[in-house]
Amino acid sequence: MSRRVAPAWQLSALLLLAVLHRPVTAEPYLAVQKGLKCLLCHTSPSGGGKRTAYGNIFAQAELPGHTLDLGDFWSGELSRYLAVGGDVRGGWNRIDVPGQPNSEDTALQEFLAYLEVRPLPQHLTLYVDAKLRPEDPIVREQYVRLSTADGRWFVRGGKFFLPYGLRLQDDDAFIRQVGGINYNTPDSGWELGYEAGKWSAQLAVTRGTAGGPEVDSGKQYSLRLSHVTPKWRLGGSLNFNDTVFGDRQMQNVFAGLRTGRVAWLAELDRIIDDGTPTGSRRLWASLFEANISVKRGHNLKLTFEYFDPDADVAENEQNRISVVWEYFPTQFLQGRLGYRVYDGIPQNPAQNRAQLFFELHLPF
Amino acid sequence: MDFSRILRRRGLLLLPLMCCAIAGCTAGSGEGLDISGRPLSEGGDVPLAPTLASIQANVFNPSCIVCHAGGNAPQGLRLDAANSFTNLVGVTSREESFLLRVSPGIPDQSYLIQKLEGSASTGERMPLGGAPIPQSSIDYVRQWISDGALPDSGPPGMPPVVVSLSPDPDSIIGNFPADITAGFDQDIDASTINAMTFTLMRSGGDGGFTDGNETEITAASVALSGVNPRLAIMDLSGVAAVEDVYRVTLHGSGAGLILAPDGTALDGEFGGTLPSGDGIEGGDFIAGFEVRGLQPSLASIQNDIFAPICSGCHAGPPGPNLPSGMDLSSADASFSSLINIASFEVPIIRRVAVGDADNSYLIHKLEGTSAVGTRMPQGGPFLDQATIDVVRSWIDGGAPR
Repeated sequence: MSRRVAPAWQLSALLLLAVLHRPVTAEPYLAVQKGLKCLLCHTSPSGGGKRTAYGNIFAQAELPGHTLDLGDFWSGELSRYLAVGGDVRGGWNRIDVPGQPNSEDTALQEFLAYLEVRPLPQHLTLYVDAKLRPEDPIVREQYVRLSTADGRWFVRGGKFFLPYGLRLQDDDAFIRQVGGINYNTPDSGWELGYEAGKWSAQLAVTRGTAGGPEVDSGKQYSLRLSHVTPKWRLGGSLNFNDTVFGDRQMQNVFAGLRTGRVAWLAELDRIIDDGTPTGSRRLWASLFEANISVKRGHNLKLTFEYFDPDADVAENEQNRISVVWEYFPTQFLQGRLGYRVYDGIPQNPAQNRAQLFFELHLPF
Repeated sequence: MDFSRILRRRGLLLLPLMCCAIAGCTAGSGEGLDISGRPLSEGGDVPLAPTLASIQANVFNPSCIVCHAGGNAPQGLRLDAANSFTNLVGVTSREESFLLRVSPGIPDQSYLIQKLEGSASTGERMPLGGAPIPQSSIDYVRQWISDGALPDSGPPGMPPVVVSLSPDPDSIIGNFPADITAGFDQDIDASTINAMTFTLMRSGGDGGFTDGNETEITAASVALSGVNPRLAIMDLSGVAAVEDVYRVTLHGSGAGLILAPDGTALDGEFGGTLPSGDGIEGGDFIAGFEVRGLQPSLASIQNDIFAPICSGCHAGPPGPNLPSGMDLSSADASFSSLINIASFEVPIIRRVAVGDADNSYLIHKLEGTSAVGTRMPQGGPFLDQATIDVVRSWIDGGAPR
């Protein structure tokens, strides 16, 4: 049996309570729509992974079209010292490549489990994010975080997703795939963070081996700085990976803007890669996205992406255009129906493919 | 009217702007480019065939190297033309260590094929998130592997260079490597890969190589790979695993040096970035790596366990002040006190029964399973099982000096 969500003032009080207690692999568009920083909804300061109590309650109270009366909200907080969470994602995917047979795939794509232990609440956090598999789990993040009492400063050490640009759920977006900083490439090292008022900053020094062995000379440096207001946000990132296979420099600017029902996202990335057979290459990747809140529980996502794999070579650019309908029928359940069109050079059929997909996402 | 109200009312004006962006950022026409989007002047299109050059041009370049290239290459797998052969053929997969990425002659046992066909038990099908490679193209990769996964001939007239080294140059690794592999950009004369031209040196504990205390490591074997004529392998089986800084040298100058089949010497100068070389034939390739952490060797166990933990009590000359008459203050003393020596408390059991950790009294005392006396270190804290397992490994491996 379902019913409409409780009156707005009750939910507001609940959300406020959650915030005061401090202590959905979400998309950054949600943060833009609400004018919030990533860390309000996620344990990780730059977003992604386990949701905070506020993030969980927000996902149950504000996102669904209908809220089932379960008697209580799931916050993930088992005690003051322990919190858990998870994400299950599966679906159907069809790819059409011109001149080639279609490929279809139906699968449970991922089952993520999160564990947060707080021996010293608000000061010391131990965190694990693991992808569960029948054989053995893959640990995506595993770190210890120390925070000051006011939450302004933190330092964490271990394995974590690097702070760089918009933390999109879609690892195949050009800006995440080409840059090589995504959910598939956590790295190990240290990160210093600052969160105060409208400012958010993270500086990470990591191995630069995407979770591989330590390297004695040459590290990866990542800096992400953003200014967040209720209506808009603007940020920039720098990344430098010093490796024996050639250095890689990356810079980006990213922004978010809320105009009524529409949350806009934009990011522009510039990459200089010295580790290519033909020497140094300059690459550009960008994303421009509109998220239209059609009605409660429904989000229409229109995305345009651009990728130039070598700025010194003409007529090699690629585009990707996506239309995705996201529907939250009730809490803990999201359906996504999407269509993507790739447009690249005609001689490469894979750069001109189309993709139709349906996903079920169960965040908790 | 404030800015936010303007935005709210006029925000949808951004939609036409988005349309303009789409119209302005059109895809390339591909004119003058090959299937990989590279200028035809760099080589141009190559018909699909079971050769590495064709697979490089038709599979790796257009579908793989957007991610698998440069310093951020996932799993350290670089599939650009300079690295694909040495990163694939005869190289163990990082995801499934019991499989080679390409096992010459056996496509079904090659991890590359499993990843392309989606039958690997680990991770996603490749290309990640992209269109699967057509089976008709994969069949050419299969055929290339069945034919022996042979390399293409190297660039004519250019001296060979080092394109990969495992362990990575300057890396810090937790376990002593089973072997060291060096990859070249072209075939190498097998007779020139030997213990004189491919050497490994240990610093002697100080990280330096100039003060005379270095140790030359004698490998079990040094040879060119039997399946990959661009891969030199130094087998370190039986070499004592010691925490230290190591230096790998591939000789491109001097009396014994590494040569291509046409007699061209290695262009080895290494300035921190691979591939090696200064464009001129000759020059040694010198790179280091560090083994850090407890290793299954007496030197390492002495440094990390016996000296800092045990020798507080177990040190000094024989006498009433030396518990059980066991001196663990130095590697020599530990070796003399432990190896095949009957234990003081249960003489029927040797302190270290070479090759038999389960029946070594040292293990019984560390794990707290001895029937006599207390668990060691006395009063704790006790060693964790992972640490004890390294001691076990040293004993089971023959407890070498």
